[in-house]
Amino acid sequence: MKRTFVTDINEIKYEVYMEVARMAFEGKLNESREQIPYNIIPGNTPQYRCCVYKEREIIRQRVRLAEGHTPLPGGNIKNIVQVLPAACEGCPINRFSVTNNCQMCLAKKCMSACNFGAITFEGGRAHIDPKKCKECGRCVEACPYNAIADLMRPCKRACPVDAISMDEEMIVQIDDTKCISCGQCVVGCPFGAISDRSFMVDVIRLINSGVKVYAMVAPAIEGQFGADVSVGMIREAVKALGFEDMFEVSLGADFVSKNEALELEERVKAGEKMTTSCCPAFVNIIKKHFPELADKMSTTVSPMQATARLIKAMYPEALCVFIGPCIAKKSEVIDSITMGAADYALTYEELYAMMEAKSVDPLDYTGELQQGSKFGKNYSVSGGVTAAVLETFKERNEDVSVKVYKADGAADCKKALMLLKAGRLTEDFIEGMACAGGCVSGPAMLNRERTFMKDRNAQINQADDRQILSNVDTYEEYNIRMHRN
Amino acid sequence: MLITICIGSSCHLKGSRNVIQGLERKIKEEQLSSKIELNGSFCTGECEKGVCVKIDDELFSVSPETVDTFFTEEVLGRLN
Repeated sequence: MKRTFVTDINEIKYEVYMEVARMAFEGKLNESREQIPYNIIPGNTPQYRCCVYKEREIIRQRVRLAEGHTPLPGGNIKNIVQVLPAACEGCPINRFSVTNNCQMCLAKKCMSACNFGAITFEGGRAHIDPKKCKECGRCVEACPYNAIADLMRPCKRACPVDAISMDEEMIVQIDDTKCISCGQCVVGCPFGAISDRSFMVDVIRLINSGVKVYAMVAPAIEGQFGADVSVGMIREAVKALGFEDMFEVSLGADFVSKNEALELEERVKAGEKMTTSCCPAFVNIIKKHFPELADKMSTTVSPMQATARLIKAMYPEALCVFIGPCIAKKSEVIDSITMGAADYALTYEELYAMMEAKSVDPLDYTGELQQGSKFGKNYSVSGGVTAAVLETFKERNEDVSVKVYKADGAADCKKALMLLKAGRLTEDFIEGMACAGGCVSGPAMLNRERTFMKDRNAQINQADDRQILSNVDTYEEYNIRMHRN
Repeated sequence: MLITICIGSSCHLKGSRNVIQGLERKIKEEQLSSKIELNGSFCTGECEKGVCVKIDDELFSVSPETVDTFFTEEVLGRLN
């Protein structure tokens, strides 16, 4: 199985995960971890930075992250998403800058557009005084030559909740009281200076110590390992890593659809509004930025938690590990230790590294697996949760009319929540997905090729058309609790 | 009050899940669920002290056997 990396950053992240996973599986991490920077950056010729010593320090900080630590000892232990100080280039902080495109024109529209007197002309050319500039951006719009560049730091631009600032050394800082762990800055930083902490070593150590560890793959899995790798093949590969078995979280999603629809019906009839609760970054937006709306959120557990509760009902000794395209799921696991559900969360990136570390290739296996309905599988696409919830009304022959706001991406989620808070939301139901497009655009997706959705849909089309409710009824004997508490 | 329990593999093997259940049970018995929040944390590298439990930022070493004493002495002590 050959993976194409989106950028060199993804490849470096993978190399570190792979080395760490290999040593953890062999039980040699404690003795050998200091060797990793030299394995990955051999010789004396730097590839990306000023020198190999800096490159190796970045690797060292990434190894700490891969082991679940903060990049430096004594860092902020509350954040999942962490800054690698050695990798942060401290991009220019002055947001707007006049470029050589300035034609030194007579109209000086930029100057008249500025309400703060920040623009002057020196030698005929515009100049922005950073002390006066309020970063409103009017000069950018006013210039007919597009001569003013918006150089907002990419991490800050990527963050939907304004959690990013700079310290006195210009190194980025993440405010844990605002961060929703969505991972947009991880993807957004062109220097790979922000990344997520990992439970990978914990999971490997527990597998090695003989604990019965079950994998739960998120519904974005179809097509992740290429067009030719089915979920059944992935299940066998996952078992070859030492997991007891693998379940589809799309199965838990079916449980959620059934329960959330009942809850929605009740609320709509009472004239109340409701939001989904399956996207952990969306839940974090509510908890941290709209706490007054917490009671509007569905009380149904997420598909991850439903799947974990089902597995634990079947196998009480099970340890349940979610594997998905999502960084925020790690925060959900940490925030929900009292739920008796998911124990750890990994990403597809980490799973792939574990497979490579053990030379396990899903292409070498055969197998079929379908546990979730097609509707459950499409929880990972924007609009998919709504489609599934409404489908259960149809299956029950209930005519419930629900107006839906499909909030697609974190900015849209904030907009919908602001309307709800102000009492101006006309819709009854907010489907909140913090990644635009849904989980299939998640920050830890492996496959971002143009053909990915085609591969994914081709695989899902081969699944059977089982109904949501009858699928859930198959597991009736386990009597799964669907409430958050 | 925020109580943070390490869920890393070392603390897991020393019974962090049982410590969590023990704390939940005590919180229920004492009807303190509105005053105490339980949260997990990544490994902080102090595995030899596990199960690592923090009250706000103060670290304690707790085991499934000592969870009741810990609750009475440290948690209730701080709440009163």
